[in-house]
Amino acid sequence: MKPLLEVKNLFQHFKISRRFTVKAVNGVSFEIYPGETYGLVGESGSGKTTIGRSIIRLYDPTGGEIFFNGSKISGKLDAATNKMLRKNMQMIFQDPMSSLNPRKKISDIIGEGLDIQGLYSDLKQRNEIISEILKKVGLSPAHAERYPQQFSGGQRQRVGIARALVMNPKLIIADECISALDVSVQAQVVNLMKDIQAETKCAYLFIAHDLSMVKYISDRIGVLHKGYLVETGTTEEIFSNPVHPYTKSLLSAVPLTNPVIEKKRKLVSFDASNFNYENQKLRQISGSHFVIGD
Amino acid sequence: MENILSVKNLDISFRTNAGNIHAIRGVNFDLPRGKTIALVGESGSGKSVTMKAVAGLLDQNSTINSGNIFYNFAQDKTLDLLTLSKKDLRQKINGQQIAMVFQDPMTSLNPTMQIGEQIMEAMLLHKKISENDARQKALELLKTVGIIDAEKRMKNYPHQLSGGMRQRVVIAIALSCEPKILICDEPTTALDVTIQAKILNLIKDIQAKMGLSVIYITHDLGVVANVADFVYVMYAGKIIEFGTVNEIFYDPRHPYTWGLLSAMPDLETSDDRLYSIPGSPPNLLHEPTGDAFTARNIFALKIDEKAAPPMFKISETHYAATWLLHPDAPKVQMPPELQTRLERSRKAAGL
Repeated sequence: MKPLLEVKNLFQHFKISRRFTVKAVNGVSFEIYPGETYGLVGESGSGKTTIGRSIIRLYDPTGGEIFFNGSKISGKLDAATNKMLRKNMQMIFQDPMSSLNPRKKISDIIGEGLDIQGLYSDLKQRNEIISEILKKVGLSPAHAERYPQQFSGGQRQRVGIARALVMNPKLIIADECISALDVSVQAQVVNLMKDIQAETKCAYLFIAHDLSMVKYISDRIGVLHKGYLVETGTTEEIFSNPVHPYTKSLLSAVPLTNPVIEKKRKLVSFDASNFNYENQKLRQISGSHFVIGD
Repeated sequence: MENILSVKNLDISFRTNAGNIHAIRGVNFDLPRGKTIALVGESGSGKSVTMKAVAGLLDQNSTINSGNIFYNFAQDKTLDLLTLSKKDLRQKINGQQIAMVFQDPMTSLNPTMQIGEQIMEAMLLHKKISENDARQKALELLKTVGIIDAEKRMKNYPHQLSGGMRQRVVIAIALSCEPKILICDEPTTALDVTIQAKILNLIKDIQAKMGLSVIYITHDLGVVANVADFVYVMYAGKIIEFGTVNEIFYDPRHPYTWGLLSAMPDLETSDDRLYSIPGSPPNLLHEPTGDAFTARNIFALKIDEKAAPPMFKISETHYAATWLLHPDAPKVQMPPELQTRLERSRKAAGL
């Protein structure tokens, strides 16, 4: 099967001043296949959000290539590719409180993409599309006339999902989309995302730091540290046989809901200063399991 | 076991433009000396309000309708914190006896003050101590909370520190006046897992060293399993189940606790769907008759709509407020997925 998204040797650097450059992402490569969920994990500052934003072209990548749906989407975009990219790749943001425009009605927030791309023939059809999508995410069509502040956090995140989904995208980038929500609401949103995937066969790039949730939802996982992809493989491979010391340390920090074991759990310490990832390549452990270094 | 803090029948409401919100509806809990209790529940269940009442930090529009907060400050000497004036509370209790660590280290520090000054501030205010001594003490505290280069960090401003470091500073400030009780309001929610584990270990170490009693407010059950001796589950302004941490995690009895436990995937969860508690918490502007959980409870009985259940005793330390425990109630089993999961975790724990 051909990958839906191919990221090859992606670099994303931010020049702060003449002397200082933040090297957020350094030579990251991975691919996402149609209909699968790829989880990106790592501590804060590891570059997971930056990768998501580079892929959807909120940033201009410093180096490397990105292929999506058969066309190259890094470098200068021509009008046709840009249109294809905007329609087929969508993002769900972290904070449902600040990612929805408070002065717009829900129908206009969801309909904005449709308006820009001209995806309906008359107003009636626009309303139909919006009601349908609202029903799909578990809200009622009557909610279309409301404003974001009239919703609870979980409902707002549903609006965020509806906004992404209305374009019928092939890839959705979900950037920490459940970390601002309550445990019980997290479960509702994750179930919704899984249902939608089963129905529309869209792929997810699921960015999160909650490893038990990542394990639950992802088919494959990439572990990031200091802007380098240090280990990648299927969920099974990463969780049952972590190879890189950073991955081990990350897994050892996952809290378990089992008090007797949790109270005895030892944190595997990881000293980042001993690791220099520069110029190191991924090597194969087995099947689709790769780890950085020798 | 003696209790250093004992909250009895606390009842608090808030005046708002929309009307009176009855946020806390009769909360009871005990904090044994030197132990850790955890208050868990969804947002809006009243965990933070309860703790703000204990710390004397309630907002202006609140009314304490009834209740006592007994603080045992010395052998056989107890004091009802609710009878103290604001001034007494501020001068004698806050900081020195009861200190608080807040959720978001980004907003709980003053961005215009060096962190050394912020740690010294409370000491200079509360204790007869020279500035030099306070500085020495602040340095020590920074070392206690695991900040390397303490000398240099004293002169840093909050924005120069990472999230984990900032939370360490907040903890240092809380500890500066040697409190007896430490209240941690979601202390690790804003941090990622590795830092979270380190901060929890730090609080545990300090607790052992200083003999602190700790109250955690959190919705993360993994954190609860790690730190707590006793767990109180809150829903709609009431405690609906409490017990030792093992009783709550291996033998939960309230359907709401079942829901909370099922909603979080553990590393073994492979079901197609996560269980989620349907609906959302009730609006306490209109106080529910009967059990507040009825509308979301798939096990609800007829009586739930009419009368709120009392606390039923399960063991000496384990109580739950659900009519399912009434001797006349039909026998109800918890959802099978949760049952297998609890069996798995009991087995893993060797129980």
